[in-house]
Amino acid sequence: MSMIEVRGLTKDYKKGRGIFDLHFSVEQGEVFGYLGPNGAGKTTTIRHLMGFLNPDAGRCRIAKMDCRKRADAVQKRLGYIPGEIAFPGDMTGTAFLRFMAKYRGMQGAGRRDELLERFELDPSGKLRKMSKGMKQKVGIVCAFQHDPAVLILDEPTSGLDPLMQNRFVQLLLEEKQRGKTILMSSHMFEEIERTCERVAIIRKGRLVAVESIETLKAAQTQRYIITFASPEAAEAFCGEALEIEARQSHRVTVLTHGELSALLAAMVNYPVTAIETPNQGLEEVFMNYYGGQGA
Amino acid sequence: MINFTLYVRGMKSSGKMLLLFAVVLVLYFAVVVWMFDPELQESLEQFQQTMPELMSAFGMGQQDHSLTGFVTSYMYGFMMLVFPMVFSILLANRLLAGAVDHGWMAYLLASPNTRIKIALTQGKVLGSGLVILILVSALSGLLFCEWLFPKELELKGFLFINLGVLALQLFIAGFCFFASCLFNETKHSLALGAGIPCLAYLVQMLANIGEEFEALKYGTFFSLYNPERLLAGESSAWWGVAILAAGALVFFVLGVFLFHKRDIPV
Repeated sequence: MSMIEVRGLTKDYKKGRGIFDLHFSVEQGEVFGYLGPNGAGKTTTIRHLMGFLNPDAGRCRIAKMDCRKRADAVQKRLGYIPGEIAFPGDMTGTAFLRFMAKYRGMQGAGRRDELLERFELDPSGKLRKMSKGMKQKVGIVCAFQHDPAVLILDEPTSGLDPLMQNRFVQLLLEEKQRGKTILMSSHMFEEIERTCERVAIIRKGRLVAVESIETLKAAQTQRYIITFASPEAAEAFCGEALEIEARQSHRVTVLTHGELSALLAAMVNYPVTAIETPNQGLEEVFMNYYGGQGA
Repeated sequence: MINFTLYVRGMKSSGKMLLLFAVVLVLYFAVVVWMFDPELQESLEQFQQTMPELMSAFGMGQQDHSLTGFVTSYMYGFMMLVFPMVFSILLANRLLAGAVDHGWMAYLLASPNTRIKIALTQGKVLGSGLVILILVSALSGLLFCEWLFPKELELKGFLFINLGVLALQLFIAGFCFFASCLFNETKHSLALGAGIPCLAYLVQMLANIGEEFEALKYGTFFSLYNPERLLAGESSAWWGVAILAAGALVFFVLGVFLFHKRDIPV
């Protein structure tokens, strides 16, 4: 069953800004990535799903209910992390989480304590004085404490350190196991890669791809920087039948396309001291996927 | 329709401001009542004769020399107009437009509460804050009068004036609330919600000064509230009060409706 359906969704902010004729759906129990560079229209799409905006054309539905017209019913089963978290600064984290639970009509504390422990968060301080990372954690606890069936997460890991990012990924995978439907936006491919089965890529307000993560990865050019014990070894390595992008003294940059065995086989014959995989920007993932023609 | 949790939060967060405004008004009442001296009335009359424009600009062009008349001119011509007005402007602006501008409206909307319920709840926070402010001030005035000059205050007239000022203030609050419902940025909601009432008040001050600008008084809603006529029990004064009360309701309802319909980019 499609839990989230977006059909022909359009919001024109003029001058080429906005979102145009978006179509995609997210099945129940699926973790769906929503990728795009900053300003591509991710947050605008999410605001429609949240029922904050009126579409110019098209519609979006969650659990078969129109996100705008039946926002209150849709929101009953929704958890949300805004892209830019803004709390009332005069409240403590504890007071805010309690307020939101009561405001939502929740009985008791729900999953609050378990989540606080998981993210090692002490929310007793004033929200105004919390660091970006702590605020993000409060936002996460707030989104999950009522154990919603659908989660809409707008760049949920921003501000979290790598350890907490891992805990968050773990949480998402567990929720997926429990049958929750998750839509998560990001401008970083790596983050999406670890959790999502399918990904939509949005660029300049238009969807350019809705693909499984495997398809995207296979189409991706992966870059490896290999460091050798000596410049001579590096130079000799360049003679192998591999796609060599560049050589700088004893460092060689090799490109692969979803297939590593040739590179691995070649490497065992040389004195390799280090292998690095630089992070790829989203634009690059996108360019790889389209081979430059669709851009 | 009300979300009680949000209402309590609203009342708590506006409590300090309410207390501050109430304290100032209560102190003013105390001073004004304490200042009342039947003999002093003569010297004030002289003062008025020498500087009639200044006195009447602040709505203190008085004819009635009783305690009720005195309190009416000094409290209900300026303090009880301006202070609750500023309170409404600040609070109304914060309750909706402020929350949208700041971004925390996202959390209010991301809940199983309809926008109508959210806006109505915030409207009730504003309305009850204002009623409490006026009630507390008026009661303190009444107590001071009874304490210092027992049985001097004309209770019915005093009640009428307070009803009039309440209608006027609810009208202003309704307008501020309407402006707050309309905009995403507080600079815009303030421009409308504070701009129009303040401008109207300035025009009213000008109109009070003298015959030269008297025609201006028909240009503002302040002339719908006439404390002297209310005190005199003239039925024409009640028409103004009724129009103000109806206008308040119209602005509140219109604000809620537009808030329900519009885009809220948080």
